[in-house]
Amino acid sequence: MFFLTYLLRELFQRKRQAVFIALGLALGVGLVVTVIAASSGVRSAQAGELHSLYGVGTDITVTKAPPAANASNGMTITAGPNGAQVCNAGHCSSGAQTIDNLTSPAYGAFPASTVASVARLHQVAAAAGGLYLTDNQMTIPADLGSSGSGFPTSNSFTVEGVNPGDYSALGPLSDDTVAAGRNLRGSDADSDVAVVDTDYAIAHKLRVGSTVTIAGKPFTVVGTVAQPQGANPPDIYIPLARAQALGTIAGKSLRGDVNTIYVGTATAGVVPAVQQEISALVPSATVTTASSLAGQITGSLASAASLANDLGRWLSVLVLIAAFAVASLLTMAAVARRVREFGTLKALGWRSARIIAQVLGESVAVGIIGAAAGVGLGFAGAAIITAAAPKLPGTVQTATGQHMELMGPGGAQSSSPTLAHTVAVPLSASVSTNAIALGIALALAGALLAGSIASWRITQLRPSAALARVA
Amino acid sequence: MYKLTGVTKLYQKGRRTVPAVRDLNLTIGDGEWLAVQGRTGSGKSTLLNLLGGLDRPTQGTVELDGTGLGEMREAQLTRLRAESVGFVFQTFNLVPTLSAAENVEAALIPLGAGHSARRARVAAALEQVRLSDRAGHLPSELSGGQQQRVAIARALVKDPKVLLADEPTGNLDEDTRDEIIALLEELWRCRGLTLVLISHDTSVARRAQRAGVMNKGRLTVGQAAR
Repeated sequence: MFFLTYLLRELFQRKRQAVFIALGLALGVGLVVTVIAASSGVRSAQAGELHSLYGVGTDITVTKAPPAANASNGMTITAGPNGAQVCNAGHCSSGAQTIDNLTSPAYGAFPASTVASVARLHQVAAAAGGLYLTDNQMTIPADLGSSGSGFPTSNSFTVEGVNPGDYSALGPLSDDTVAAGRNLRGSDADSDVAVVDTDYAIAHKLRVGSTVTIAGKPFTVVGTVAQPQGANPPDIYIPLARAQALGTIAGKSLRGDVNTIYVGTATAGVVPAVQQEISALVPSATVTTASSLAGQITGSLASAASLANDLGRWLSVLVLIAAFAVASLLTMAAVARRVREFGTLKALGWRSARIIAQVLGESVAVGIIGAAAGVGLGFAGAAIITAAAPKLPGTVQTATGQHMELMGPGGAQSSSPTLAHTVAVPLSASVSTNAIALGIALALAGALLAGSIASWRITQLRPSAALARVA
Repeated sequence: MYKLTGVTKLYQKGRRTVPAVRDLNLTIGDGEWLAVQGRTGSGKSTLLNLLGGLDRPTQGTVELDGTGLGEMREAQLTRLRAESVGFVFQTFNLVPTLSAAENVEAALIPLGAGHSARRARVAAALEQVRLSDRAGHLPSELSGGQQQRVAIARALVKDPKVLLADEPTGNLDEDTRDEIIALLEELWRCRGLTLVLISHDTSVARRAQRAGVMNKGRLTVGQAAR
């Protein structure tokens, strides 16, 4: 009781100094909490990027680099004074034609048995295989390349082959809402039916009952689905078996293959370990998690990540060092002013440890005030970020598998265009329990540091010298 | 009770060595009142510090009831001061943020007494110095004489064997000085304390049983006119 009375009276006596120290600590702690919240928000946004590409519930995706697109395994269009020649995986034809290829330009292929192997790994909750394909439709005029000729017309859309009825937890259909008609069912496994994304359906005036042509085959639209805001879904979904039958990669059929494995882990904490296990199981695979996808993301989301992680972290460290230094200096100054008081207490029979405990108690009290204020500032900072931050676009580049060569006066020009997946995800910052605990710990550590440094003076105090000091 | 033999205390001031007390021999009996006079810088306060265990002699021995204070460990000296030695200072040395009662209570904290026991002893001590009605006042709300009474209560609340007073009336006016000295005398008589009082005031020294004069670190002790 006397300890608390003495402590509170002393803090009240020098309340201006106590408030100054507490504010300094609060600023440092608030910045740390805000930066952690922002980093957490960026990580969530990055996960959102992953989920928007691969569906909610997917913690890891397993893909593979596609074979390099060139004249022998891709589609090559050569246009020159003698008209157009289209070569598709080495098979060439000339003249007017319509091409409709369902290919896997972005990813290489795995045997479907790989999915079961991954599913059996420790800490894997579920695994599902899919085929992420691109349907390229192009109409080539006969006289392409000659003087006064027309230009090819093209249409591309993405097609996802999914296991009908087996996508509730993983994959691109795990978070959809049926807008019209129905979703794919198990009985659709070998049927030429399709479900269309609502945005694509609206843009192309498709409804339930419409027909879409995929790899030259007509598919009946049985439903339309809407994906969560910010998602970048495939345009059309068809049964996996039909996608395998119709799709090709580097001129070879995709029967029995998948090119994406969606993996859900038992807990978020085991994702890195499972990532390593999959990499060991399938050495040729690219095993992507939210954090590894972060390295591929360009755009504002990448900038925000850099800002939060690098600049934010260093700024927090600098402010904390400054706050600790100010707290230490001010506490030492306060102890210096009370040398005669402490000398008197020693003369009364107070042990140094008792006096030190009093000084540390005062420092801890200031630290608690600083911690509370700092956590409050952290919450405010996180709320400002959530309220004010715009949606951040993040872009991931994938290959299309197309290879273009144009013959002209300047010679041959070739290119292998890529597709950019751009997703705008909202950035939010939420303060976690860990951030609060860290903030409190830092404030108390700073206060204890200041009190300890000041207390060192007390241990060096000779009572007679202290009493001789002029007040 | 006190036996000082060949006590010398030297202080280092840069390269110079300053002898504050030189070859001092002194015996103070139980319940005796000794007044020590002397000019500023003569070593009076150093003598008091040695008697109270606030400092150790450079040479010689300071014994209290047969125990050499110079050989005691710091923790033992602290305990001795907590239980047996009361101090009264010229500048009162009250904790400015604590009330009169809490300042007195501060002297009981090292003894580990319980809260209600402390309160009772504090009340009795303030009653003895006739300051019960000012128990809740801060030092800044008390006059000089009242503050010194609080300091005396603080020194005596632990029932010490020894009371060491360093110029207790130095900061007080004449009337208040007489009040404080009268109070100290009364308490000395009632409690049978050993009282060592430093003062440059001859009229104060005259009231003691024995008086000594410090001059350049050396003490000459005679008999007071009592």
